[in-house]
Amino acid sequence: MLRKQKIEKKKKNKKPVVGFYAITGCQGCLLSVLFNEDKLFDLTKLIDIKAFPFIKQLEGAKEFDVVFMEGLVAKKNDLKELKEIRAKTKVLVAIGACACTGGIPAFRNFMKEDNYKHLVYHKAMHLTDMKPTPIDKYVKVDYYLPGCPPDKNEILTFIKDFVLGKKPEIYKKPVCFDCRKEGNPCLLDSGKLCLGPITRGNCGAVCPSGGLECWGCRGPTDDANIKTMMSLLEKKGFDVSHIKKRMKSFVGLKLAKKGIDTYEQEY
Amino acid sequence: MNYVLKKEVFSKFVNSVLKEKGIDFIAPVKSEQNDIIKFQKLISFSDLCLDKNAYYPLKEWFFKKNEVLFEFKGDKITIPEKKPKPKIFFGVRRCDLNSINRQDVAFSEGCWDPYYFLEREASTLIGYHCFEKEDNYCFCGSVGLEDHYDLMFYDRGDYFLVEIGSKKGAWFLKQRIRFFKKTTERLSARKKVIKNANRLQKKNIAPFYDHKNWKKGVDLCLGCTSCNTLCPSCYCFEFKDKVNISNLKNGKRIREWSACQLKDFSEVAGNHIFRSDREHRFKHRIYHQLQYFNEKHGKHLCSGCGRCIRGCPTRIDFVGILNNMKTKKPNVKKPKK
Repeated sequence: MLRKQKIEKKKKNKKPVVGFYAITGCQGCLLSVLFNEDKLFDLTKLIDIKAFPFIKQLEGAKEFDVVFMEGLVAKKNDLKELKEIRAKTKVLVAIGACACTGGIPAFRNFMKEDNYKHLVYHKAMHLTDMKPTPIDKYVKVDYYLPGCPPDKNEILTFIKDFVLGKKPEIYKKPVCFDCRKEGNPCLLDSGKLCLGPITRGNCGAVCPSGGLECWGCRGPTDDANIKTMMSLLEKKGFDVSHIKKRMKSFVGLKLAKKGIDTYEQEY
Repeated sequence: MNYVLKKEVFSKFVNSVLKEKGIDFIAPVKSEQNDIIKFQKLISFSDLCLDKNAYYPLKEWFFKKNEVLFEFKGDKITIPEKKPKPKIFFGVRRCDLNSINRQDVAFSEGCWDPYYFLEREASTLIGYHCFEKEDNYCFCGSVGLEDHYDLMFYDRGDYFLVEIGSKKGAWFLKQRIRFFKKTTERLSARKKVIKNANRLQKKNIAPFYDHKNWKKGVDLCLGCTSCNTLCPSCYCFEFKDKVNISNLKNGKRIREWSACQLKDFSEVAGNHIFRSDREHRFKHRIYHQLQYFNEKHGKHLCSGCGRCIRGCPTRIDFVGILNNMKTKKPNVKKPKK
């Protein structure tokens, strides 16, 4: 009864106010929202998009129901913006590998500053950089839609579930499950450094289906057996430092938490 | 009465079935890209691959990966009408034939599953007998395989000996009788035994549930679900409602494969997970295959094809683990279900 009342209340109310924001990142995640080309008009009927970096006319809103946040905190401005937005919204969704797990920019954590600074910031030393960190270190994140880039269907499903008042489903199956359903051969058997067994799926195993090993962009599963994965890959003849580099390429900080030794020793 | 199909005629036989309209001929085919053998629609006779058993099982043809159960528009439900094409499955090994029978049992138990049996009734299964185990992973000799086939082909060197197992098979053969010759040759049960395939030595695994040796397998398990998805007998599924974006009241309900090695498989409302640690999940699959199903239906769910070991990234040999468990001090504790 309570649930029905809630749904009815939502029906009466206006469309949920949704914002898309991006801090440091390539904005590719927001692009994958736009990849739902033929469904965008239907989408605007469901939700009221008040902020989207690619649409200049939108001026934001005082309060949001949902905010999709792309990118990670790498500058002081990012942190300021992130905290402001969090204060405005009821639900914050981290979208993309950077926001969820750190992604490629978090790679900087594994390097010594002297080694890269002169290469990257040769002249632009005015940037107020911070240690690149996924957003859940600073603010509360309600849902994660991982992936580099995130799956366009997963974003749509999330919005549909939210509008319906359903608890959004979180996909917990590994990439291997998707991959086997696609009917692929195991890339580990053919000697490739594939991280499918420990990586969250719902990407439809696009990389392994095309013959490219999984790099783990969607982050580790809840019960990823990283220790066995390491020893398996070592047995297959891969160098330990190479395996660790690969594992950290998208999810460095999350894996560091999960028990892979800290990153300062390398590079 | 048994029949003989000479090998010179075999290609003609296959080609003539391929030419028949309204029938799909499905047989193991080796993929050119990745050397994997899968059951696929055969296009030409030269693609047929009978040297090895298929890497992927047959089940996806009957127990679909994504099956639309019904479509809904508000409160109105429409069940999609399907008329599956008659399919001939050729080159199905004894283990796969048995696992299809186990799925028949599972999908007709309590509630008869129309989606599964629609495909099943449109199928004719032609078996291909192995005389010897294929590799060290096979253990079909230990699980008590039965005869479940419409037709069975035995490779006898120059010719195939063909046994009829059902009316459907007899009807299929009768229509193509010009390729076959009658024979009085019979294979004794002893000759039909698949050699060196009785690797699993334990008959009752119930006393070993709490054995410490399980840890060896559990530690190696990555939870990748290859064992479930490659298993020809595993039949667990989950439901999903997919709503249309244009109108959230409309959509369809889909049945998808699931896997018991997943942590969220046994998750229920309130986020409680019944088998939250990997050890219980690992043992549950093996005990379901070799004990629980047996208690209920009198035969093993497992057909001993060895795909779960062959396809496992870490090659966890649970048969070896079970064999190494000593019976001297059986643990009295009853297994948890």
